Amino acid sequence: MKHRTLRLAVLLLLFSAIALAQDVASFEKRVTVKKLPNGLTLIVCERHEAPVFSFFTLVDAGSVQDPMRATGLAHMFEHMAFKGTDKIGTTDYAAEKAALEKVETAYTAYLAERDKTVGQDEAKLKQLEKAWKDAIAEADKYVKPNEFGKIIEQNGGEDMNAFTNLDETAYHYSFPENRLELWAYLESERFLHPVMREFYKERNVVIEERRMRTDSNPFGRLLEQFTEEAFAAHPYHRPTVGWMSDLNHFSATDAQKFFDEYYVPANMVVAVAGDLKTADAMPVLEKYFGRLPTRPHPDEATTTEPPQNSERRVALKETSQPIYIEGYHRPDYRSKDDAVFDAISDLMSEGRTSRLYRALVRDKKIASFSEGLTGYPGIKYPHLFAFIAVPLPGHKPEEMATAIHAEIERLKKEDITDDELKMIKTRSKANLVRGLADNEGLATQLATYQTRYGDWRELFRSVDRIDQVTKADIRRIANQVFVDTNRTVGYIENSGGGGGSPGAEQGNSGQGGAQ
Amino acid sequence: MKPILLAAMLVVAALVTPLPRANAQATDWKQVPIPQLPAFKPQQPKRVELSNGMVIFLQEDHELPLIDGTARIRGGSVNEPKEKTGLVDIYGEVWRTGGTKSQSGDQLDDFLEIRAAKVETGGGPDSTTISFSCLKGDLDDVFKAFVDVLQNPEFRAEKIDIAKKGMDDSISRRNDEASEIAHREAVKLAYGPDNPYARVAEYATVAAVTRQDLIDFHGKYVQPNNIILGISGDFDAAAMEARLRKAFESWPKGPALPKNDIKYSPAKPGYYVIAKEDVNQSNISMVALGTTRANPDYYAISVFNEAFGGGFSSRLFNDIRTKRGLAYGVGGGVGTNFGHPGILRIAMGTKSESTIEAIQAADEDIDNLAKQPITDDEIQRAKDAILNAFIFRLDSPDKILAERMTYEYYGYPPDWLDKYQAEIKKVNATEVNRVAAKYLHRDQLAVLVVGNTKEFDKPLSSLGPVKEIDIAIPPAAEGKGESKPSASNPEGKALAAKVAAAMGGLPKLQSIKTMRVAMAEGEPGSGSPTPVDVTIAFPDSMHVDVTTPQGALTLVTSPNASFMAMAGMGSRAMPPEQKTDMLAQLHHDLVYVAQHADDPALTFTAAGTEKIGDVDAAVVDIGGAIPWIRWYVDPKTGYILREKYKGMGQSGPFEGETNLSDWRTADGLTMPYTHKNQQNGQETSLVEYKKIELNPAIDPKLFQEPVEKTSATP
Repeated sequence: MKHRTLRLAVLLLLFSAIALAQDVASFEKRVTVKKLPNGLTLIVCERHEAPVFSFFTLVDAGSVQDPMRATGLAHMFEHMAFKGTDKIGTTDYAAEKAALEKVETAYTAYLAERDKTVGQDEAKLKQLEKAWKDAIAEADKYVKPNEFGKIIEQNGGEDMNAFTNLDETAYHYSFPENRLELWAYLESERFLHPVMREFYKERNVVIEERRMRTDSNPFGRLLEQFTEEAFAAHPYHRPTVGWMSDLNHFSATDAQKFFDEYYVPANMVVAVAGDLKTADAMPVLEKYFGRLPTRPHPDEATTTEPPQNSERRVALKETSQPIYIEGYHRPDYRSKDDAVFDAISDLMSEGRTSRLYRALVRDKKIASFSEGLTGYPGIKYPHLFAFIAVPLPGHKPEEMATAIHAEIERLKKEDITDDELKMIKTRSKANLVRGLADNEGLATQLATYQTRYGDWRELFRSVDRIDQVTKADIRRIANQVFVDTNRTVGYIENSGGGGGSPGAEQGNSGQGGAQ
Repeated sequence: MKPILLAAMLVVAALVTPLPRANAQATDWKQVPIPQLPAFKPQQPKRVELSNGMVIFLQEDHELPLIDGTARIRGGSVNEPKEKTGLVDIYGEVWRTGGTKSQSGDQLDDFLEIRAAKVETGGGPDSTTISFSCLKGDLDDVFKAFVDVLQNPEFRAEKIDIAKKGMDDSISRRNDEASEIAHREAVKLAYGPDNPYARVAEYATVAAVTRQDLIDFHGKYVQPNNIILGISGDFDAAAMEARLRKAFESWPKGPALPKNDIKYSPAKPGYYVIAKEDVNQSNISMVALGTTRANPDYYAISVFNEAFGGGFSSRLFNDIRTKRGLAYGVGGGVGTNFGHPGILRIAMGTKSESTIEAIQAADEDIDNLAKQPITDDEIQRAKDAILNAFIFRLDSPDKILAERMTYEYYGYPPDWLDKYQAEIKKVNATEVNRVAAKYLHRDQLAVLVVGNTKEFDKPLSSLGPVKEIDIAIPPAAEGKGESKPSASNPEGKALAAKVAAAMGGLPKLQSIKTMRVAMAEGEPGSGSPTPVDVTIAFPDSMHVDVTTPQGALTLVTSPNASFMAMAGMGSRAMPPEQKTDMLAQLHHDLVYVAQHADDPALTFTAAGTEKIGDVDAAVVDIGGAIPWIRWYVDPKTGYILREKYKGMGQSGPFEGETNLSDWRTADGLTMPYTHKNQQNGQETSLVEYKKIELNPAIDPKLFQEPVEKTSATP
């Protein structure tokens, strides 16, 4: 008890060593991975806290895989995965199938006329549009609306949702443990017999989603423009939700094609965590997911983003208040320096001890919020390390840039302190431990690490990698990456209106100095 | 290791669970076997009530080596005065960031972050909270910090500034996003604009909050008999109970709090619009006052909400999203809360061009409730959804603890959740349709649309009379931004006296009637400093000569004339803001303020301490007869280390800060000879005093405007 600080340090060391060792060991016992003959990977993680389980299905295809002229298609398919199957959501599938084929034929004809640049026949276009809409109405007669989602809800499905990003598409919810087989049935059927019913109505829903997230949201507009500017060649410049003209263009046939190409068992990982016995659960999962047909792994090659050699800027004039963001190209997540970027992000952003908080919010008092984050807009391909700041009233985006650059210069010129390095490492361990305490988080992490590294144990190794980061690594990466020619800047400038600012406009030098 | 009780249950459960029959592979979802869910009796937390009325819940959970605790304390923003709306938000932040008597918030940050631990505070409408989270091995250290913040907060002025700036920032941004506008204004329509659950902070109400308000709020509410403390994690309950008794048992009970009397004045039914040009989607909210969970109708309402506007199975989702493709987000129901009425709300977002169509669709769905009552089938589905998902309210010790704390707080029975489950099972079609008819009426809703009115399919007025809501943000009042302490406190007066003594004593200061200071002002990065001569005749006349490269510039304020004159360009009247600012500079002069250290017209309010370098500087806010200025005083020497104030620069108002150093004594007056000036956090100039003359003879012409008056080029 005499050497108080020493004792604490030892405790911390002990903690990190013990907790992690225990966890990897205990997880070795609780986690089982099985790769099925069709290529699909199953993970079962036992966690006997309450009679429930969660799952996470990860499809390693996202909007980067959207075909040309069909941005938003990966996300559109995600919506369609809630529309049911040949057995769920229909009153008569044979008749519905025929009707849906007619919808596609009618849509193709309508589109051909609509997209004519020369010689469009207005009367014919109207007639074709009507034919298409009539075909939709005909197909709708066989629909049992939302039956798939209803079954999940009625059976107690919790937090049912899905997401698409540039890298991947994922589906998840939780069930009471007695619904494991029901879940295995539903989740495998969804990818065995998807049906593109009510496609064009759902497309309108997605268009509303675009209006909500992007068109009607100033920060959404900024991010879309900023990202587009940062990536000249790589598909990371695309909005996941899709460009409006593409949304109004692609068809159910396109979505089905996307599914056929990318929803391939070898491209999917399904993780379940909860009150399950692996010996009982695995055979059930195998039985149902083993039915998915083997198909070739898709070609995922994309254009490589060429090195950036001059700064790029996007300035939006809006009636809303200013926001500032800047991004620097960095290599993908497999880079040996990935943990260094994580460490920098932690140092710059985590909590009130973080450098950006202390500099911009606490000391300079020019921002209400500032962070440096990695993994934007995805991680699978070379992406950005981004800095963001929200200026306080009366302060301008340029001040954010100056203050952020001053912090970047510090990173380049001075080693971070021992305490800072210790904080980063302790926090990464504690965050890992905190993330292991619920089924949803576990299923998500296991599926993600299994997909990205081919081994869920990387979840624990990622902490070891952060543990090995040195002060020199941080300076090296800062000097290498945070240079102005590698920078894209985006900001919103207030064009007047809104705000009703409290009056602290930036003032230059005032009069002489009785102060 | 798991609690034994829970582990035993699970063993039993495993035995009775029929194994899934892997051989029988289903082809229809209805054929999939669903075994009985094992009985699950989750572990309840242990409740302890201390003799001072503090209620404690202890929930052991040994899954991970972590310990978390939250204290919920009665009293929240509903208790703040309307003219200080935002007080509890500021309190909730500065309670933690302002540190404690023994360590600053920044020191706490360092102390906790290196342990990956947290102690956080927050303010809500009904209550405030303080919580901690740490690794098991750090409990001693972190618990000590938790108790220190709970009982000894210091609310340092510096952090109040940061919190207020953050508030001002959110006020300035609150009309940026349509969804935020829709949410805020719909709440005002449902509860009434002045209702404490609906009203929002303004620049003026934020500015009105003082440090004393935070101290008073804390003193009034943070009493053991108002606290419910819940702790969960990897500890032994008996040992934890002993620890908590030791920490809190001797804390004396405070007075009982009066019951809140809250008025609800929902807006008149009808149509309300807020025009926003930079959107292509309308946010539609249809609202009325909801009810509380103590209402016996609550169970039927829950089933109704699920069936009408809950999820994939609901009528609204199926009609407006799936069938009509009009919205991405749509839903609603009769809102309920534990302690106060919720909001009945139907909300959706649709493209501008289908605004009226979507409102009519929702209207139709409401009307349909009478024509096509909710069916047994829909009710069964809704009840199944609620009951089958019921387990997710109990699936972690944390959730059970949080539920128990909520019941305790709002005076619901501890087994309320069991009752809820039983009551839901009993709900039938008659009940559901009865509550639908009782609570949801199309003609009693206030319908709010936030959208691009020019793009609507039809004018909103085609549905009925429309009231436009003005959401313009009221600008800050005069003397903006800073709180004006209403009265001196003894500590503040003592500090003023100390400063006066350090400068040479009150008699000496009050003998100074005029003063002339020769100084030089340099700007960062620019060449040689500019000579500036300031002549003051207390209390209200000041003459400044600046030797600029372009020639001599003169600035004068006095009761008779305020003007500026430039060599060769004549003179002109000083604009009113500049005049006010110049007078403020005069009245912020150290000698002037110190002369009035015992003047009741000026207020001196001590506001805690703040670290400047190694010094724990005493903060004193000065106001009353002069504009606000804040001094940071070295308690040892009585020297002022820093000043903060508002100023008017060439391009508008700024927040000024001056760091004072190089204290010298001449003619019995001790003054700082180096002044480093900042505006809005940026260094602007360095002023060096060269010479101070006391009581020089003054030529009255110094304060008179030259006769030949040419106006400067427009």
